[in-house]
Amino acid sequence: MRRLGFAVTIIVLAAASLAAWSFAAPAGKPAATHAVTAVKLPKLPALPADVKSRHRWVIGVKCDFPPFGFIDVRGHNDGYDVQIARRFTQLAFGRDNRLSLVCVTTPSRIPTLQSSRVDMIISTLTWTQARADVIDFSTPYYSATGRLLVPNNSSIAARRDLHGKTVVTTRGSIYATYLKNCIKDANVLEVDGTAAAVLAVKNGQADTFMFDDAFVLGVATQDPTLKLTSDKFLNIPWGIGIRKGDSKTAAWVNIALRRMQLKNEFVGILKANTPAKYVGAFVDNVPGPKTRFAYPVGKDPASDCSGI
Amino acid sequence: MSTLLATFDWTIIRENLPDLARGLERTMQIWVIGIGGSTVIGVALGAARANRIPVISQLAAVYVEVIRNTPILVQIFFVFYGLPSVGYNLTPFTTAWLAVTIWGGAFNTENFRAGFEAVPFRFREAGLALGFTPLATFFQVTLPIGGRIALPSTINTYISVLKNTALLTAIGYPELTSVARSIAAVTFRDFEMITVLAVVYLTIVWTFSILIRMLEARLALPKEA
Repeated sequence: MRRLGFAVTIIVLAAASLAAWSFAAPAGKPAATHAVTAVKLPKLPALPADVKSRHRWVIGVKCDFPPFGFIDVRGHNDGYDVQIARRFTQLAFGRDNRLSLVCVTTPSRIPTLQSSRVDMIISTLTWTQARADVIDFSTPYYSATGRLLVPNNSSIAARRDLHGKTVVTTRGSIYATYLKNCIKDANVLEVDGTAAAVLAVKNGQADTFMFDDAFVLGVATQDPTLKLTSDKFLNIPWGIGIRKGDSKTAAWVNIALRRMQLKNEFVGILKANTPAKYVGAFVDNVPGPKTRFAYPVGKDPASDCSGI
Repeated sequence: MSTLLATFDWTIIRENLPDLARGLERTMQIWVIGIGGSTVIGVALGAARANRIPVISQLAAVYVEVIRNTPILVQIFFVFYGLPSVGYNLTPFTTAWLAVTIWGGAFNTENFRAGFEAVPFRFREAGLALGFTPLATFFQVTLPIGGRIALPSTINTYISVLKNTALLTAIGYPELTSVARSIAAVTFRDFEMITVLAVVYLTIVWTFSILIRMLEARLALPKEA
């Protein structure tokens, strides 16, 4: 009797673990989600040969740009971009740890990609024609606008107040180009990282920080001495950077993004990386089954000086 | 290498020449202020240390040790980001010349101290015997001779001050290196900009060295009989 009970327990445990394992089964073939009704997901093409042989993605991400790419308190990379990278890894290899993340900054990300140090860059990369001439962009995965971060007692309310003022931004960003083209008498201070820029505003060495809304909104809400003006500009989508001519990676990435979009995964990633009170402000910035973004091809928003 | 040279894009340099020239102008401004400031500090503190003036001598020793034993980049960050937290808010320009002057001053203190101490005691003795006050002896005897002895090492320091201005990129001061890197970030032509930087700095330092060598020849101490 005891032996029978023992055998039944073993069988039940084995069945339970088999069931659990099948529920946790890695994707790689179109996995059925409960939420979406019978959506036809495109099939992922073959991985590029070197990625396949390496059995690992090497992806460049930001490490100083919460909530998209940053290092959390335990020293691990996290953020919207990083979670997209992990999702790609899961889609490619069935596990999300076959991934090497390389920290890049705004000025270093494209040279890092071009020198093949990474397979792709998911690093808050806004589309510009100049960048599209040297690298390929995936389909958009986020859309940001530019905003001005100012101290609470600042007299700056919009871009027209920037004449003669010191504006800090990161080196090589679209905002640096925009200022040089459109607000020529502003004193532009270019630094290499976002932390240095925020510090410059706090210390009074710059009158304002012109940057993406996603980053500065987080700063303004954490820091009671800083605020955002309501002036919004340069609304351009972000894409994943791929080496020019690397069509296999481009094809794979675009299909992977399409799958994530159809399964509405971007909203989930946004919610996982944004405090609840900001989610509403940004949920329209992520692609979904019905929302798609397009790059302003043929136009150069950074030289479009209207609206100042 | 040949493909790099074949695709060298001169138009990028030509188009951005005004910005680069402006950056070079700022580098030279900081360098000249740095040379002047560090010479004054070096002579004053070097003399204090050589003559063992109490209090100043010890303080100068601490200053020299701190500056020589910390990276200049850390010193630049300290002046730009650290001082505001105790109330001193400095513009990038002020930080720039202040940081390089403080750095150069420390090294020049040691250079001039060595130079002044190398002046044979009998010359100073002769000055005092002739009725010069100690201060007059310093200005008429020790400084001219000690300064010339110290000249080669101070030239080294001045050249290092120039090269250190490149580190001001870190605080966004738009000197030559910062401007070149910003252009490279927007045009993706890193190689052209780095070449420009290398050529410009090399030319300046070489010209400076040649001029100094001519000066050294003129100022050479007569060989003792």
